[in-house]
Amino acid sequence: MATIDLIDLKKNYGNVPAVKGVNLKVADGELIVLVGPSGCGKSTLLRMVAGLETVTSGRIEIGGKDVVRAEPAERDIAMVFQNYALYPHMSVRGNLEYGLKNRGTPRGEIDRRVQDAADILEIGPLLDRKPRQLSGGQRQRVAMGRAIVREPAAFLFDEPLSNLDAKLRVQMRVEIRRLQRRLKTTSLYVTHDQLEAMTLADRLVVMNGGLVEQIGTPTEVYDRPATLFVAGFIGSPPMNLIPAASLSAGENAGTLRLGAETDIVGLRPDQLYIARPEGDVLTLAGTVELLEPVGGESHLHVQIKGTEQPIILTVQGRPKLAEGDTITVYARPEDIHPFNQQTGRRTDAN
Amino acid sequence: MVENRPWLSLLTHLVLIVGVVVVVFPVYLAFIASTHGSGDFMRGLVPLLPGPHMLENYGRMLTQGISTAGAPPVSIMLMNSTIIAIVIAVGKIAISLLSAYAIVFFKFPFRLLAFWTIFITLMLPVEVRIIPTFAVVANLGLLNSYVGLTLPLIASATATFLFRQFFLTVPDELMEAARVDGAGPMKFFRDILLPLSRTNIAALFVILFIYGWVQYLWPLLVTTDSRYYTVVMGIKRLAATADSEPLWNLVMASVILAMLPPVLVVIFMQRLFVKGLVDTEK
Repeated sequence: MATIDLIDLKKNYGNVPAVKGVNLKVADGELIVLVGPSGCGKSTLLRMVAGLETVTSGRIEIGGKDVVRAEPAERDIAMVFQNYALYPHMSVRGNLEYGLKNRGTPRGEIDRRVQDAADILEIGPLLDRKPRQLSGGQRQRVAMGRAIVREPAAFLFDEPLSNLDAKLRVQMRVEIRRLQRRLKTTSLYVTHDQLEAMTLADRLVVMNGGLVEQIGTPTEVYDRPATLFVAGFIGSPPMNLIPAASLSAGENAGTLRLGAETDIVGLRPDQLYIARPEGDVLTLAGTVELLEPVGGESHLHVQIKGTEQPIILTVQGRPKLAEGDTITVYARPEDIHPFNQQTGRRTDAN
Repeated sequence: MVENRPWLSLLTHLVLIVGVVVVVFPVYLAFIASTHGSGDFMRGLVPLLPGPHMLENYGRMLTQGISTAGAPPVSIMLMNSTIIAIVIAVGKIAISLLSAYAIVFFKFPFRLLAFWTIFITLMLPVEVRIIPTFAVVANLGLLNSYVGLTLPLIASATATFLFRQFFLTVPDELMEAARVDGAGPMKFFRDILLPLSRTNIAALFVILFIYGWVQYLWPLLVTTDSRYYTVVMGIKRLAATADSEPLWNLVMASVILAMLPPVLVVIFMQRLFVKGLVDTEK
């Protein structure tokens, strides 16, 4: 049980900055997900917290104690690696016990904790097997078990689900969530999968280019992306970003009030309609370019006049539209996210 | 591939049998010779069936040797060879493991230089640097000692290179997981890396034991005291007697005895040996 504070944390590899100054306060028991494209510095950040990377400047406090110079083992953290990193020659039991033995935990205590972890993760029958005799999902559980038995101040997860197939990933995601809720252990979780990020996180940290773009709960980040990057990164299909000029032209001018600095507006695909909704609306005229049925809903690609990229909207069911049809797309003024291209930031920030 | 061509299988078997005969026949002849009396091999017609003097010949070689040839009993030479082969194998594996560990898992200044320096010694086996090496060993007063016999042969890079290649395949995360689990560098080495290298170590042990066993030139140079003779060089002395015909029956008995330990090592470590060469437990 501990808080984690990162204070102006920086990391350079030679002259190349990987993490450019990150401030983050993680509350006790919170699950924070670091999400971003590859190379954004999220893994480096996690490894610095673990003590596997040296810190160029800044401070890391775990439970109020500065740990920048401490060895990984002295930081009271446990880490789950992407490829699990189980000791191949040890049985599952051996893997779980190893960290405890190194700490000189008494035998009875070790047995009790291993048994508890095995019960929680339902890996009791596997305790005497070797890692290579386990399936991917089972290895994943053992890797988590190795973290749990230590009863650490914090869990660090480094893309733990990316080696699993899609179905198992969803299942393990739910389990990790449940486990973390149950143990109430402060956790940092790195992923590039935004769905994983959205479903797991108490709070999200969206990173890009070594900097934090936005910190907030998943709904906050989704409903009010602070930057253009976040707007384009979170959400699937991504938010449509259209030049403001193409919107305010013609008949739409009256219903739209944008600040002077707004030159790009964002619209979520599921907040665009082909049937006119109640209240004030904004209309966009265009032609259907592509209709992608994805089961219960369809993705409609519509080319709007004056923009280069077609916009995408999600429509329930399978609308009777053919490619080349001209249609009118409706949006509600309150759903518009205004941005400034230059700063990349939201223009209606409070 | 399943084929049914009787002539082809006949031919392939024939080739195999010829190959086996070529290899095995001299060994068989040596064994036959070691079971006959002293004059039997000089009569022109070489016997092809075992004779009656086997126990007598082997007993004599193991306990007395041939004093006229200046050779000690074979039992002493066998003991020497075994000690030397084991020391060389164990010593080489130990320093190679440690140096490969340092080179792969630690960052220190001139790491690459250190690696290449070790690597270059591959080009300089004992035979190539034999005169300077002899001078050094002689000046250190190590002639006629086990240290002098083994140390120069231990110091080479073959095994370092092999372990380096193996260590490079061990994922970094394994070391990081061990660090998080509170294992220091030596603990990681002992608890994780060494058990993982088990089969490689076994394979190398077999190869290096035989390498040490068959050393001929170096023991010949650094030993003058018959108490330190090794069996491979001793056989040469047995065969080269001054004023009489070599006692072939006794020489062959020593040859057979000299062959046994490497064969035993290979047989008993074969399973691990093959495993070490073929796959790694990951």
